[in-house]
Amino acid sequence: MKTKVLVIGLDGACPDWVFDRWREDLPHLNRLMARGTWARLDSTIPPITVPAWTCMLTGKDPGQLGIYGFRNRLDYSYGRMGIANALAVKEDRVWDILSRMGFKVVVVGVPQTYPPQPVNGQMISCFLTPSIKNQYTYPPDLRHEIESWVGEYILDIEHFRTEDKPALLEAIYTMTRKRFQVVRHLISEKPWDFFMMVEMGTDRIHHGFWKYTDPSHPQYRPGNPLENSMRDYYRYIDREVGELLTQVGEETRILVVSDHGAKALQGGICLNQWLIREGYLVLKEKPEGIVPLGQCQVDWTRTRAWGEGGYYGRIFINRQGREAQGIVPANDYDALCRELTAGLKAIRDDQEKELSTQVFKPEEIYKSVTGIPSDLIVYFGDLAWRSVGTIGYETVITQNNDTGPDDANHSREGIFILYDPLSPGRGEVNNLQITDIAPLLLSFFGLPGPDGLQARGI
Amino acid sequence: MEEGFTLWLTGLSGSGKTTIAEMMERELRSRGMKVERLDGEEIRAHLKETLGFTRRDREIHLRYLAFICGLLNRNGIVAVVGAISPYRDLREMVRNLLYKYIEIYCQCPLDVLQVRDTKGGYRRAVSGKIDYFTVISDPYEEPEQPEVILRTHLETPGESVGNLLKFLENSGLVPVPPSPPGDYSEEEEQIIAERLKNFGY
Repeated sequence: MKTKVLVIGLDGACPDWVFDRWREDLPHLNRLMARGTWARLDSTIPPITVPAWTCMLTGKDPGQLGIYGFRNRLDYSYGRMGIANALAVKEDRVWDILSRMGFKVVVVGVPQTYPPQPVNGQMISCFLTPSIKNQYTYPPDLRHEIESWVGEYILDIEHFRTEDKPALLEAIYTMTRKRFQVVRHLISEKPWDFFMMVEMGTDRIHHGFWKYTDPSHPQYRPGNPLENSMRDYYRYIDREVGELLTQVGEETRILVVSDHGAKALQGGICLNQWLIREGYLVLKEKPEGIVPLGQCQVDWTRTRAWGEGGYYGRIFINRQGREAQGIVPANDYDALCRELTAGLKAIRDDQEKELSTQVFKPEEIYKSVTGIPSDLIVYFGDLAWRSVGTIGYETVITQNNDTGPDDANHSREGIFILYDPLSPGRGEVNNLQITDIAPLLLSFFGLPGPDGLQARGI
Repeated sequence: MEEGFTLWLTGLSGSGKTTIAEMMERELRSRGMKVERLDGEEIRAHLKETLGFTRRDREIHLRYLAFICGLLNRNGIVAVVGAISPYRDLREMVRNLLYKYIEIYCQCPLDVLQVRDTKGGYRRAVSGKIDYFTVISDPYEEPEQPEVILRTHLETPGESVGNLLKFLENSGLVPVPPSPPGDYSEEEEQIIAERLKNFGY
């Protein structure tokens, strides 16, 4: 029997929703779980779309890839960051290996696939495409077929930072509907052995609507008119998944995965403001208003560390002999990292409660370190609190997000649901890492994992 | 009308002839060329009542293929053929029958092919269940001077197609397309940076 594998990626799909709270509302995913094997999937550190999906599909961690987020330092200057698109991925992903071995692949919307690279099959790139006027498919003329099926294809949501929630909800549904429609066409009209899609709507709805659903969110109000919006969307996704299952037939192995989960956003820790307060970051003059660090006059001759904001925090040490105007001697580097770690962990929330902040050093968590990582990675409140990079706040704690309204942060665990018609399911399993997925997928085709890594018995 | 030409992919079973032929067909069409792909196995399936795998049968098979290619080429259509075509002198016969014949050798070591064995043919041939299976129970004479060699065990199908296209572009047979998308322009990078900021990354 010919091997066929369908991977349905749901960016940020949350195990708390899929496995627990809404399991009974999601009959198709529930049935896959009942007949298959499922787990909370440990994401990367950091648990961010880039590099998480690429780590999943290469079997390599961020350090091995040299990709630590969407934006990565290009050199040791103070602010040159490059965006990690497909050209930054130097390791084979599952579809590269399968293509080389003659298997047909179809890849739709997997993050970090722009610009689209040739495969033995079809590729539609992701939201890192500037616009659909760019060449976003392989082969190039696939775009014309897409347009004949769905009109204007939607890579991702425009105008995401809006308080017009009904409009945002409609936009998320429209994007998802079109993507699944394209996927259905590709499944039935193109030859494939390996088919993978990623839908971004699950992540987008978390960030836009979490506060309406989760009682643990500081802004949740019971009985609000949008209370069921996330659940209803998950139910819609489940129906779309059900349709795909009908289309592909019983002999296909099905994997439903997410790259990370999500949780209520409790607030923000103003990382650079804290570094200024503690004397690690020194400005030549105080800025007017709230501004990004890049627009400030930093006194690099007196600055020992600076940070970057986002769903997680990054700290960079101004190291002598490394940074252009580095002042921290090599001998003092480790002690400074320890001092910063202790200080970050001691930050308390606006109720003076301990935050359970975690701090990681790249060389301690990755198999190897390439490229230019940050010196420290920070999970404020185990990611319940965002890292705010802008400067000009009176306090270190804020309830306002400097990039616009956002209800959710990412969490460490995504979902893994495997239905294998050739093997009995094992129900819930534990200790599954995101880097276990690539060897598993390749094993379905009788191939060893990347660098000969064998698949774990899942 | 400008004559077409024939791309003749030869190589062992599983060496990538069909994969590369399919990709070439799509790529050449996307460049506005008229293309027909002829798969040796498909043609043989239509003639199976009359053709086996003896040397004589193989000669007849290739003559059929060459005749069709000639017709297509005379009408300005590129013929892309994937056929094992194991005998050197028979491939030379096809070359002499056609106006413009480009021989492409899909080279792949036997041990790699036996691992791939996507159709199970090698396994069945080794166990004696198939006769006349090229390189197991029937010879394959490697091309001595093909126009292009594609080492399909060392490159992805995309790389193979790229190498073949480069040869055809340099030979003036295929128009050079506009450059594929490279990295971001400054303006595009700004768009993506703004988009990522909007998504909170």
